[in-house]
Amino acid sequence: MKLEGGQISTSGLSFLLICYIFGSTIIIIPGREAEHNIWLAYIAGMTEGLVFAFIYTTLAQRFPQKTLIEINDLIYGPILGKLISLSYILYFLQLTALILRDFGDFFRGVLMPETPLVVFILFSALLGASAVRNGIEVIARCSIIIGPLAIVTSILVTLMLLPQMKITNILPIGDIPLKDFIKASHTVASVPFGETIAFLMVFAFMEKEKVKNIRKLTLLTIILGSIFLLINIFQTACTLGKIAPITLYPTFTAIRLINIGDVFTRLEALVIFAFLGLGFLKLTVSYYGATLGMAQILKLRSYLPLVLPLGVIIVVTSILHFENTIENIVWTSDIYPYYSIPFQIGIPLLSLLIAMVRKLPKQKTGSKQQQK
Amino acid sequence: MYIILLFLGFGGIVLFEAPGLIYQKYWRELIFFFLFLGLAFTLSLLAVIGIKLPSPAEITEKIVTFFLKPLSNLF
Repeated sequence: MKLEGGQISTSGLSFLLICYIFGSTIIIIPGREAEHNIWLAYIAGMTEGLVFAFIYTTLAQRFPQKTLIEINDLIYGPILGKLISLSYILYFLQLTALILRDFGDFFRGVLMPETPLVVFILFSALLGASAVRNGIEVIARCSIIIGPLAIVTSILVTLMLLPQMKITNILPIGDIPLKDFIKASHTVASVPFGETIAFLMVFAFMEKEKVKNIRKLTLLTIILGSIFLLINIFQTACTLGKIAPITLYPTFTAIRLINIGDVFTRLEALVIFAFLGLGFLKLTVSYYGATLGMAQILKLRSYLPLVLPLGVIIVVTSILHFENTIENIVWTSDIYPYYSIPFQIGIPLLSLLIAMVRKLPKQKTGSKQQQK
Repeated sequence: MYIILLFLGFGGIVLFEAPGLIYQKYWRELIFFFLFLGLAFTLSLLAVIGIKLPSPAEITEKIVTFFLKPLSNLF
């Protein structure tokens, strides 16, 4: 019995990817050490992210309809492959815990400060669990609705902030030491773009005829999503200027400034709905990756019984990680970009090189078909 | 007080999932379900009682700073 019978359409995959990239980036804005040069850091980080996506999609196209766990089994053999897959599952669990924590911190800090953190995390995890139980096809179809909503909201916000934007806040351009710039751009590349490694669990469920389009589709989608993200980052940098690195949630602080004719003020609540949808999708995809991966390692016939127990583990881990929001932000800027290097670049690159050298996957028929 | 809620919650999860698995005779899945549930129960019980568990963030911080210290001397 197949673990997952659903199939994703091309539009489902694109919107899922866009929502995933937008997800927590729009809230916590990684890479803010670059101060007013944050938009330059984002352009550099996006280029690095495209390299990541190139590696992941080449792996996905080389092993069509196989998830990350099965790819590891094929490349590294049964024992080492299972070990690496297990570490990836733990990474995905931690990723989901971090996403939940980011959103819990945001809603608690901004909307309801008196509510205990565990309430936000518990209910978001419950929602995510119900989505994961329904399968990836439902999640992709959800993103087709939530994605355009979020994009339209962010563009509307940018248009409404035009009176408050001052281009001079960007200047001077490029007065940042190279070391800091590289660190900031690598943070940008690791938080939204490197985490698309979770999509290696999702690519396997594309319709079979569309497998050839995965790379082109993914790269185009990432470029498109990055352009929207860049517009938002530019807007935040122009509006806030020097204050941006000090604020906890720069985009939110910028939205507070919207004031059109004294009528359109206090619009934060409207935008929070869009962000909530994005966060939900991001957490669902990584939650799904972790659950499906665990079920594939243990060779179960269905991943459904694992959803709720893993959900509880994720909630507990999420609360265990940090004491407060500041630790969260500092850890994500300083430690996470280096800690995620083996998972996001190291092992996938190694897998791709080994697959190319060993000419995997081996064709059963006599003719040699070079899969590009 | 929270422990009662915890027991209720986990009882609810078992009531939700276990009958379906038993009816379908998915014994392997049932075993792993209770295994993970036991792990989750232990972790959440320790967290609710108040015993301080090691935070994964601290562990990764120690590992990363251990590796990065010699490199930071280069710059």
